[in-house]
Amino acid sequence: MAPTNLTKFLFILSLVWLSHYSLAQQKYTINGYTKDAESGEELIGVTVYVNELKVGTATNVYGFYALSLPPGDYTLIFSSVGYQTVTRQISLTKNETYNVELPVEVTSLDEIVISDDPIDANVTDISMSRNELDIKQVKKLPALFGEPDIIKTIQMMPGVITAGEGTSSFFVRGGSADQNLILIDEAPVYDPSHLFGLFSVFNADVIKDSELYKGGIPARYGGRLSSILEVRTKDGNNKKLGGAAGIGTLASRFMLEGPIRKEKSSFIISGRRSYADLFLKAAGEENLVHFYDVNAKVNWKHNNNNRFFAALYLGRDVFNFDDTFGFDWGNTTGTFRWNHLFNDRLFSNTSLIVSNFDYALEFDDAVQGFSWTSNLQEFSFKEDLNYYLNTRNELQFGYHLTYRRFSPGKISPTSDASIFDTQEIQNDYALDHSIYIGNEQRLTDRLTLSYGARLSIFQNVGKSDVYLYEDPQDNIDIVRTDTLHYDHLETIKTYVNIEPRFAARFMINPQSSLKVSYNRMVQNTHLISSGTVPIPFNTWSPSNYYLKPQLADQVAIGYFRNFKDNTLEFSVESYYKDIDNVTDFADNAQLFFNRDLPTEYRQGDSWSYGLELMLQKKEGRFTGFASYTWSKTERKIDGVNLSKPFLANYDRRHVFNIVGTYDLNEKWSFGGSFTYSTGRPITVPAGRYKYGDVYQVDYISERNGYLLPDFHRLDLSATLTPRKNKDRKWKSSWVFSLYNAYSRKNAFTIYTRLQQDDEGNITNGNVKEARMISLFPVLPSVTYNIQF
Amino acid sequence: MNKNILYLLVLLAVAVLAGCEETVKLESEQVEPKVVIEGLVTNENIQHYVKVSRSAEFYSSGDFTGVTDAVITVEDDQGNVYNYVHNPSSAENGEGYYLSEDAFAGQIGSTYTLTVTLGSEVYTATDIIKPVTAIDSLEVSLNEEEFDDPEDEGYFYEILFYAKEPQDTEDYYLFKFYRNDSLFLDTETDIYYANDDLLGESIDGIPTAGFYKLGDKARVEMYSISRQGYIYYNDLYTLLNSDGGMFSPPPANPRSNLSNNALGYFQASAVVSDSIVVE
Repeated sequence: MAPTNLTKFLFILSLVWLSHYSLAQQKYTINGYTKDAESGEELIGVTVYVNELKVGTATNVYGFYALSLPPGDYTLIFSSVGYQTVTRQISLTKNETYNVELPVEVTSLDEIVISDDPIDANVTDISMSRNELDIKQVKKLPALFGEPDIIKTIQMMPGVITAGEGTSSFFVRGGSADQNLILIDEAPVYDPSHLFGLFSVFNADVIKDSELYKGGIPARYGGRLSSILEVRTKDGNNKKLGGAAGIGTLASRFMLEGPIRKEKSSFIISGRRSYADLFLKAAGEENLVHFYDVNAKVNWKHNNNNRFFAALYLGRDVFNFDDTFGFDWGNTTGTFRWNHLFNDRLFSNTSLIVSNFDYALEFDDAVQGFSWTSNLQEFSFKEDLNYYLNTRNELQFGYHLTYRRFSPGKISPTSDASIFDTQEIQNDYALDHSIYIGNEQRLTDRLTLSYGARLSIFQNVGKSDVYLYEDPQDNIDIVRTDTLHYDHLETIKTYVNIEPRFAARFMINPQSSLKVSYNRMVQNTHLISSGTVPIPFNTWSPSNYYLKPQLADQVAIGYFRNFKDNTLEFSVESYYKDIDNVTDFADNAQLFFNRDLPTEYRQGDSWSYGLELMLQKKEGRFTGFASYTWSKTERKIDGVNLSKPFLANYDRRHVFNIVGTYDLNEKWSFGGSFTYSTGRPITVPAGRYKYGDVYQVDYISERNGYLLPDFHRLDLSATLTPRKNKDRKWKSSWVFSLYNAYSRKNAFTIYTRLQQDDEGNITNGNVKEARMISLFPVLPSVTYNIQF
Repeated sequence: MNKNILYLLVLLAVAVLAGCEETVKLESEQVEPKVVIEGLVTNENIQHYVKVSRSAEFYSSGDFTGVTDAVITVEDDQGNVYNYVHNPSSAENGEGYYLSEDAFAGQIGSTYTLTVTLGSEVYTATDIIKPVTAIDSLEVSLNEEEFDDPEDEGYFYEILFYAKEPQDTEDYYLFKFYRNDSLFLDTETDIYYANDDLLGESIDGIPTAGFYKLGDKARVEMYSISRQGYIYYNDLYTLLNSDGGMFSPPPANPRSNLSNNALGYFQASAVVSDSIVVE
């Protein structure tokens, strides 16, 4: 953004302030938290509506709301999907606090559901390009090996593409997998996969709420180009001790939650572990694989003005082959939060966040033994403030500071006789300051604006050596001409970027609205990978002497319409996204343990556009959604594919998904999902040739010039909840899943080899064949869950 | 050790976890055949070869037909020019093979330039002969795991390799292993090559590829290659073992020293070899 635009922007902001001071004198503030009546969990996104004034707000991500109103008598309506609506009559003569508990909605199955939401978020909310996930529904949906997984549901959302089944990567509106910021309790998770992506790291038992931002991203988020996936875990029931456990086909789970001091303080702890390896071990199998997750959280609500939370996540995958060879990877995150009310209208969230990702590989051998380790750490301080100026303006502003340390690789011998030396690629360090401010302004009853900006100051700092090259793009004859030495915390390179954010919503009538948004995003952490799907062994790099920040500009327009008294939500959105300096790598790039990695960097352009339709039903016996996406994503990068444009690896032209659950009666409910998409592009040979008498080599003529076959799959599930024995304190349920019901062989990838027979013997050394790998045939699974 | 090991591990893990495979037919487009050139000059005093052929359609069968009308010379940095002739002994499978008219030994430290003229097209490549370290010794050792459960009956001896890796130079190596005088590969896509990035000085008893039975003759050839050669073989290995670009990089043609977009490589090497009989 040019400085003149910035000046204008600041000018508008100051106008907002001025208008506040001239109007706000006669007002009082109502604020408070909204909670689940049963568990005491804070509820996010509860609509708070003032009937007399026809104005409203929604609780923020910490369950807090505030409204400034002139003195008077009001009817406040608190409503949220899945909860009974609560109405309060108040007489406002001074600043008041109303903490409200919402009872869970008990739907009688015979009743025809009429949504009682006075206003509906789909149409009235300013946010667009955003999807919330209903975790209760995710648990009823069919799941691979019976493990409910939010990322698999995210992959069904409009505008989201998957590279194939069995991966936890997702691709949002033309962005690559590393352009998604994945947060658990505000801490970033660098690799959200277990077992190379079969499952995500998110254990459904502890998830309270999750949402995906694909566009119109508020100013408080930054750091990645394409999406924000925010996952928040439960705080723990602060009224009574409870828990849940599940025994699945592949993994088992348990969760325990309860008050430490009733209504004041609570905890939740949860664990999940796969146990296939235990059986295999018993069967004498030496190749052992397992993963586990632990989530723990405590909170302490000192009073309405001060609340403290501490959350921990740790998870790891461990692979062992024949006792001699193994590797493992995992994430650890920790979050400490303090919610503080400075006054009735100024809400603050202060967070301290750590995140660690590491992997290790060990080969145990007297002569060739080595261990290989790599890790990265991130430490953040975040101060986020909400200022409830008046009923028309809600300000958000804050400051984020992040320090990152990247250790790309260290190799050391595991025995004295090993042929290997100890070698280490130097670490990278980065400091990241961000300041943001945004305002949501209800200009008129029909028009709401949201505008703001984020200032990102990113610094690659020492201690580090930077090599200068005769030609930094020459990865064959690498000639270093000089070395620049930087001391501890000395600045190597500073990148300053302003990220404007804008959104507008115009109500056409109470059932429909038009929304537009623009956002610029900056990404200063780059995934060093040239595969389609990241693997846990990838490393990350900060923007540095050679790597420039990636910049994305996105515009989106959408029409939102509700039908049948808000029970059916429909939207159509269209977007265009343009990315500058998208990070890619030279053909044949060597990305592991390369001291001259900068010679492999190739940054270029990427652009994507698409149309997304979504129809969703959130209440009633039948709930679910159908989505359709048409999109196209291309890249043009100097030095890649002969500098010609090519389709992105994850480009799919048409994607259609339908997901639904149906409650038949109190005992049975059924779920199903169907996905259809056109194939993604892949690079296949245009010919073959012989080299060195033995090698039959593919000749490649262009990148991503071939489309894999169409992808489609139907999954089904049934949940049986046996009639509850009245004396029993616990209830149980069975979830039966059928993954890939008609056993479609969906292409995962295609590779080539010499022609072989069924036993793997080469039948003709002069004939090649193409082999398609598909992952899962029809897979039934059973999960038994108890809740107490 | 090879850095592609990580991709292989991922593939291995995917194979362990699940996976079924089938042969599919690619509808590949017609492309112009590309010229493929392969040549080797070593420090041995022999007639060196260059092979010229063309790429074929992916689904074509049969061996490649060599190009017989190329004009080929190799020139060193001293101005010596060696002319090559096509299949001078009219060997049965010699189509596309060219041998230097006279035997000559490449000099360590010298640069060699290949020129292949094919009609109006000229292809050139340059490589340097880097020094190669000596093979200290080979040793026969019984592999106990293989002895307990041999994959091939009787094949449970391995050949251990001993050498000193010079630490003050940047070296790259290509290995060829022969079992009873025929080239041995663990799998048909294996290439045995290394750089010395991570190597210490003592290479003590590293096993070579494959297992041997009593009476077998094992021979190890170690070639010095340039950085360009290392890059070529590394790229070639990555391509031969690609998973199609899911986890591994997208398949790409190896980076070659040949000009004019020819495929293949012209290699100049110093070579040492050693052999041992398993007894």
